[in-house]
Amino acid sequence: MKSTDLCLSSRGSEVVLVTSSDEKYPPENIIDGSSETFWTTTGMFPQEFIISFHKCVKISKLTIQCYLVRSLRIEKSLSKNPVDFEVCTEKDLQYTEGALQTEEFSLPEFQATYLRFIIKSAFDHFVSVHTVMAEGVAENL
Amino acid sequence: MVKLAAKCILTGDSAVGKSALAQMFCNDGAHFQKNYTLTTGVELLVKTISVPETSDSVELFLFDSAGKELFSEMMEKLWEQPNVLCIVYDVTNEQSFNNCAKWLEKLRAQTLGMHLPGVLVGNKTDLIGRRVVEQKWAKEWADIHGLQYCETSVKEMENIEAPFHILANSFHRLYREKVETFHSLV
Repeated sequence: MKSTDLCLSSRGSEVVLVTSSDEKYPPENIIDGSSETFWTTTGMFPQEFIISFHKCVKISKLTIQCYLVRSLRIEKSLSKNPVDFEVCTEKDLQYTEGALQTEEFSLPEFQATYLRFIIKSAFDHFVSVHTVMAEGVAENL
Repeated sequence: MVKLAAKCILTGDSAVGKSALAQMFCNDGAHFQKNYTLTTGVELLVKTISVPETSDSVELFLFDSAGKELFSEMMEKLWEQPNVLCIVYDVTNEQSFNNCAKWLEKLRAQTLGMHLPGVLVGNKTDLIGRRVVEQKWAKEWADIHGLQYCETSVKEMENIEAPFHILANSFHRLYREKVETFHSLV
């Protein structure tokens, strides 16, 4: 089976929780397949969002494009509801003046129904998240 | 329409009127506490302020902080990741004005180089005969240190909203600038 971006809203994925939002820069922008559109946080940290695949998927690589994020934690859940999250990875990102941060996480293949991204701290008062991509395959149910 | 959230650190020497200012602002002047109570640690008060000429607002999380040195170690933890700063001194107490430099330095150390909008507030302007810190000096000092300046009499309910409106507007401006930057990246 061909590996694809499982996060795309056009494939049925959805952002089901977000801790802050500006209606001009909604969280849907994270999974619309474009790095030109983005979601902004609107003050204070930590901030988080949860992506639901609405099914079980097998993920081998995660990529996030964002700006001014300092400390990021990614968690996964295999539950039917967004509970019982386990830590996937945690990383301090580099400051990239005037350019998007593109961070790839090559992880041992894992299953998930939800992914949770927690921005614990930042290089400024606000951050933007432009895309999240999860490469892998949808499980046959 | 967006509602921003800002962690506002309210600091300055003890007994300059920080808690009175925060409480009068948050309860719209309904109650001026005549008796002094020492703040230990931090008291959190929350109030939403509209940003003029927009449909946006800023929810200020006021961290009314203890002024006594005794609590300073605990403060450092509670002050992590601040967004805006309000330093209060008493216009009848020169020492409280001189100590503003120390408070500013402590707060700036928390920000790891990012810009922290701030306002310096001279309180107790109702005590006219006892004033020792001239408005001119204080304003100059604020300018040099990149702070805005205003004076209040919490007791007479004069100008008590001004510092918080200044901070909300500054924070909103920062957000707008940052969003422009995000657009320019792609």
